[in-house]
Amino acid sequence: MANQTPAVVMDNGTGYSKLGFAGNDSPSFVFPTAIATKGPAGSGGAGGGSGSGRPAVANKPTFLTGGAGPTGHLSGKRGTEDLDFFIGDEALSAAAGPGYGIHYPIRHGQIENWDHMERFWSNSIFKYLRVEPEDHYFLLTEPPLNPPENRENTAEIMFESFNCAGLYIAVQAVLALAASWTSSKVQDRSLTGTVIDSGEGVTHVIPVAEGYVIGSSIKSIPIAGRDITYFVQSLLRDRGEPDSSLKTAERIKEEFCYVCPDIVKEFARFDKESDDRFRKYDVKFPNGKTTTVDVGYERFLAPEIFFNPEIYSSDFLTPLPTIVDTVIQTSPIDVRRGLYKNIVLSGGSTLYKDFGRRLQRDIRHLVDARIKASEARAGNAAKSGGLDVQVITHKRQRHGPWFGGSLLGQTPEFRSYCHTKAEYDEIGPSIVRRFALLGGPGST
Amino acid sequence: MLLLDYQNVLIESLLRDRFAPDATPSSIDQVVSDFDNVTFHISTPNTKTQILVSIRLKCYPELLQYGAQAVLEREYGAYIVQPEAGYDFSVQVDLEKLPASQEERDDLIRRVSLLKRNAMAAPFEQAFDEYTALHEEASHYTSESAPQGVKEGGAVRAIHYREEEAIFIKASHDRVTVIFSTVFREETDRIFAKVFLQEFADARRRAIQNAPQVLFRNDPPLELQGQTGLPKVKGEMSYITFVLFPRHLTPQRREEVISHIQTFRDYFHYHIKASKAYIHSRMRRRTADFLQVLRRARPEAEEKERKTASGRTFRVQG
Repeated sequence: MANQTPAVVMDNGTGYSKLGFAGNDSPSFVFPTAIATKGPAGSGGAGGGSGSGRPAVANKPTFLTGGAGPTGHLSGKRGTEDLDFFIGDEALSAAAGPGYGIHYPIRHGQIENWDHMERFWSNSIFKYLRVEPEDHYFLLTEPPLNPPENRENTAEIMFESFNCAGLYIAVQAVLALAASWTSSKVQDRSLTGTVIDSGEGVTHVIPVAEGYVIGSSIKSIPIAGRDITYFVQSLLRDRGEPDSSLKTAERIKEEFCYVCPDIVKEFARFDKESDDRFRKYDVKFPNGKTTTVDVGYERFLAPEIFFNPEIYSSDFLTPLPTIVDTVIQTSPIDVRRGLYKNIVLSGGSTLYKDFGRRLQRDIRHLVDARIKASEARAGNAAKSGGLDVQVITHKRQRHGPWFGGSLLGQTPEFRSYCHTKAEYDEIGPSIVRRFALLGGPGST
Repeated sequence: MLLLDYQNVLIESLLRDRFAPDATPSSIDQVVSDFDNVTFHISTPNTKTQILVSIRLKCYPELLQYGAQAVLEREYGAYIVQPEAGYDFSVQVDLEKLPASQEERDDLIRRVSLLKRNAMAAPFEQAFDEYTALHEEASHYTSESAPQGVKEGGAVRAIHYREEEAIFIKASHDRVTVIFSTVFREETDRIFAKVFLQEFADARRRAIQNAPQVLFRNDPPLELQGQTGLPKVKGEMSYITFVLFPRHLTPQRREEVISHIQTFRDYFHYHIKASKAYIHSRMRRRTADFLQVLRRARPEAEEKERKTASGRTFRVQG
């Protein structure tokens, strides 16, 4: 076909879904992965559970009661209730009013409620992207260590409900690596590297060797965007600022925060040259009032919780550079050099100025100290050649996985890596357990 | 969501963001799709304040033949620019020369986001106009004395908007007939489609008297006699006929009617898929229920042979 339709790239994360077409440099739509349906907010369990977080225990299965059970599940409905829902930002505003309850179908990166996810996708495709799934190939993402059953379920929905022409499911970390190819620091387009993915809820450090995730070495850190916001908020509250709402804290975090090389020196610098270090932020309330909030030390203290977690939390105390070092040290020895050389940042919470530089310096210190110690132990008989540590910062970090997907989805050979509808019909859902490695060796 | 939107949501939200008074212009370069293989290119080629929206339609030459140029000129007027290379039609909006009032801005957003709808509307508008003319003419004759042309109605306008599927529009003095030809690759989809179409056909018989008449069949209807390029094989293709009556063709209704009937195919496919999603949801529920029954139906704990420390067993004396 001379005029191929662009592939649809969908990156459904716990917090936000990024939707768009391959070949573009930013997603067309970014909205919360939320769906608002009629009735109260449920626990999101497959059984349409009660609000307590546990599935409701019915005395009789519903098919014995003729589907007239007390649950709000669709199977009892005969009208068009299944179409009465909203997704994304519209869902949030609908849930604010009466009658609708909000659900988050993805938890911890994995799809938990397939009913909601199927309808979420249906609306994403038909209302927002406006494509016919028959005409387009789809590139979806999954978190590392996603069970193959989840892949199968996804394929079942994509092929059987939507009849999409072809499907490729890629691991987010691998796509984030591909996205880093746009950086000038990357010379060879390898798929080996350590991905630091820090979003809203959680930060993952994921080692990838030749496009395959080393599952046993993945570590996650319970500090991410939301924690930084809370930390800024608590600092504002401690100072007694006129407005310390979560929204203000978030804006301050996004606009003013940066990573400093040394906190003590930075404090001194703030006290010396207070005029150009301290900032003011004007808060505009929806009712038209405005107030001014002073922005001070939180400018550099907030992102500092990655490097000195003890200033924020009392139960998680390992700094991010140490975690990265541990992850690489627990990976197979023959890939460690590649992992140190290509540490890629991805996600909104890695966008602070100088984040990469600080991380690189701290990891290098750790590595150099270890090399020195081992040389000393060897009685300085053998000298190490040193180890190259490089953290890659690039422009597409915010939607890293999506951009990587867009980059790979527009390549001419993308379609040959996909499983098509015909193949699915022939073999069945188990076909998606294996995918040829997109962007791996042999492809351009 | 029962009905699909007519406008492209991306264009709409993008322009709305840019039109906001405090927005900073930034560069855009996006290629996006819409239904029916339509491709949009939204870009800022020269300066950040000039947003160029280009559209590519498969059937654009046909649409031109049916007066698309006039319709687009009416809708976009001064915003039309030379089509971008590789695209059929372009409009350019300059953020520095926006209309002053908010209503006019909203109207501009609405019009640009309806680009695809307006381009596709041309043959419908032409057919509706032809109907009015024929109706006028026919009112001079009785049904017996009408000359041939008036009785038969105008020529069939064919829009081959997809690879295999087309819309045919034919105006007569008392109605406008719109015929969709559709193909279903999937056996399941074909069955769903049949149920849906049956419902549409029956709707008139039951409650909704004002709805247009809907007919469907697997062989080309008589209106399409003499059309070229129709597949000879029976069964592959099905034909859905809408008969729009004078009450649908009044000037105040016609915008709405054109928008509705254009999205019919997408609406149809969307609902087939939504029904499948609904059925899947019920199936999942039922499986969960069955699993619950199975979990409860554990066999009673079997009596295991119990032994003493030295390995001897007790036996109940019978």
